[in-house]
Amino acid sequence: MATTVGGRTPPQQSSPGRAGGAGVPRVPAWRRKLRPYLLSVPAVALIIGILYAFFYGVYYTVLNYAATNPNPSFVGFENYASVLGDALFWRSAGVTLLYAVAATGIETVLGVAIALLLNRSTLIGKTFERLLILPLMIAPVIAGVIWKLMFNPQFGVLNHVFGLGSTFDWLSKDRALWSTILVDVWIYTPFVAILVLAGIRSLPKEPFEASDVDGASWFYMFRRLMLPMMWPYILVAVIFRFMDCLKVFDAVFVLTAGGPGVTTTTLQIGAFEDSITNLNYSRGSTYMFLLWIIVFITARYLVSVLGKAQRRAAGAGA
Amino acid sequence: MNPPSSKLTRRSLLAAMGGAAAVPMLTGCGVGTGGDAGAGVENGAAQVTGSFDWKKLSGESIKILQTPHPYQQAFQPLLKEFTDLTGIQVQADLVAEADYFTKLNTELAGKTGAHDVFMTGAYFIWQYGPPGWMEDLTPWIENSSATNDEYDFEDIYEGLRTSTRWDFEKGSALGTGGQWAIPWGFETNVVAYNKREFDSRGIALPETFDDFIQLAVDLTDRSQNRYGVAFRGSKSWATIHPGFMTQFTREGGKDYTADGTTYTAAMNSDVAVDFTKKWVDLARNAGPTSWTTYDYPQCTGDLGNGNAMMVYDADSATYPKQKAGASAQAGNLAWYPGPAGPDGSYATNLWTWSLAMNAASKKKQAAWLFMQWATGKEAMTKATSSTFADPTRASVFDGAFKQTLGEFPGYLETFEKVIDSTKIQFTPQTKFFETTEDWAVALQDIYSGADAKSRLDELAESNTSKINA
Repeated sequence: MATTVGGRTPPQQSSPGRAGGAGVPRVPAWRRKLRPYLLSVPAVALIIGILYAFFYGVYYTVLNYAATNPNPSFVGFENYASVLGDALFWRSAGVTLLYAVAATGIETVLGVAIALLLNRSTLIGKTFERLLILPLMIAPVIAGVIWKLMFNPQFGVLNHVFGLGSTFDWLSKDRALWSTILVDVWIYTPFVAILVLAGIRSLPKEPFEASDVDGASWFYMFRRLMLPMMWPYILVAVIFRFMDCLKVFDAVFVLTAGGPGVTTTTLQIGAFEDSITNLNYSRGSTYMFLLWIIVFITARYLVSVLGKAQRRAAGAGA
Repeated sequence: MNPPSSKLTRRSLLAAMGGAAAVPMLTGCGVGTGGDAGAGVENGAAQVTGSFDWKKLSGESIKILQTPHPYQQAFQPLLKEFTDLTGIQVQADLVAEADYFTKLNTELAGKTGAHDVFMTGAYFIWQYGPPGWMEDLTPWIENSSATNDEYDFEDIYEGLRTSTRWDFEKGSALGTGGQWAIPWGFETNVVAYNKREFDSRGIALPETFDDFIQLAVDLTDRSQNRYGVAFRGSKSWATIHPGFMTQFTREGGKDYTADGTTYTAAMNSDVAVDFTKKWVDLARNAGPTSWTTYDYPQCTGDLGNGNAMMVYDADSATYPKQKAGASAQAGNLAWYPGPAGPDGSYATNLWTWSLAMNAASKKKQAAWLFMQWATGKEAMTKATSSTFADPTRASVFDGAFKQTLGEFPGYLETFEKVIDSTKIQFTPQTKFFETTEDWAVALQDIYSGADAKSRLDELAESNTSKINA
């Protein structure tokens, strides 16, 4: 009986009519050497396409290119000085950071809690698991439109349901940022929950069974076993959400356009206003390049934290 | 245990994904190639010779970029007639108004010429004209080989023709320079009100701004989810141009004063500060609760639902709510010019949806045939029988349009009252959108508690610097 590998029967070692007796046609050496390069071509083309546009954007940052100045000249770091010297940039950076920390934090706590609840294989759990994904299937712009309607004090459902009358403004200066965070939480908490749930279900059962036999409480097992082993999955969710929040634009723009005043003006909205509303491409590109640096450094840091967590989890699980 | 290199690869991959995820943000800010842009695009009118013939380009096809709007909707069924007349196929691409100018800005900056004709507003000419993205239409209008003898450009209201003409020079008024677009439909900014409510309570229409404010406050009853007047308040230049700019001008305010080619922002003058305080107080005491998010759809929606007793906005924005079945208050609405200024002024700011030709178009002659058909008497007359509001031709307004106004109390009288003082009340300038959005931001800040005088001083200083840069 032939041995199967991965459910497939390996080719006979000496099929008649096949060169070399290896069971497969001999591939010329030059083709074997070329194959890795050919396989890489789509990825390389994609990267070149992205990087070309990226570096073109970086090139804009040292020009004074705007619709009102279609024949730009080199201005060195003038745009950087202008953007970094603009109080609105720092204000936007602060808003963006607060948004990212708050939204990611709330989504993580809620996401983990929901994942723990859904981990029990009850009918309700399975039903909710499927329903939970619905907000993720709605484009953030559409979610923004839906929530804007719900927030409306005149005819929105929220004021009606909570009995707030027609005078409670969810998007006032004091509440607008938190309302936009609420929408982000509504959209993306399921993302965290599903990611963490997948992580929980991949954990080995033996340590939990052993602890159970030893009479450990649920909370003890959660804190000492589950949480350390789940930590890498939670961190992956945090990395994705935090980076995404730093780039937030769509739902916030639909809800408030960055207002009232500049209360919810994130870095992306600031860049949009410079590039698209004001048609000052160089200044907008500078805004975005600075944001790119922030995202990149943050990503590097979070990934290093993830690496440490993975090593710790591997140790804990051993 | 995984080999270290494997971990390193995953980590590097995640980090690279972080960086790559941010790349599109940056690339999204760059459009076009910059260097070869600008003026110097050759006008195509001179290449058209011989006698005028609608069928001259039969078999051609053009693409037009539009936003869903009563004007566009009224013309959509008529496009086939243009094809029958000329043999030219028209592909109309629609982009929602919220994203329309973002799409248009990007396309024009890219200079692809993907669309031959596009809808635009007059203010956008100030931004699209200087880099050479629009075709000057004066040579086309003046070329009898390209333009039908019956076109009658002068039939279009003078204020509208002037509003779409500028030489892009600092200090120059509108009406100088090239004709960058042909006014297609337009709107005056006046007050629409709930006539049934006014009649039942015996309310007289207020003639002064102070009386208007008092009435709006009196009409407001938050416990009944009813408020006095809706007007725009979102963080957008579009908050300034309708009701605000109209009443601001009637009260004697000016956006800038010009000394030669140097401008000084005047939105912090005593008159302007006084008016701004009143306007913001009006929003706070008698406006929609979430005023800082209000654009015209929310304003007119509240009027149609019966939440707002008045709306100070474009007449064509409120007009559709009166049509049978279109809103809860259909049939109950009426129009009046709004309060006059202290000197009796009915100065009114206008918006005109116009048709412009993409300077990068490769089918300019066909594009011009379409434009002159769409802005011509015959097509406009047909369009006004459906949802079209405020045609730009005097002959069409006086003819077909008046017949459709029977169920719109006060609409015609309002139009006739303000039309002679209706024009663009802004100073033309290339930083219009940036400085005017900053103006809206200032209004929102004042609404949120900032001191009006100091905030407007700050705005004026900033805008003076920007506009003269």
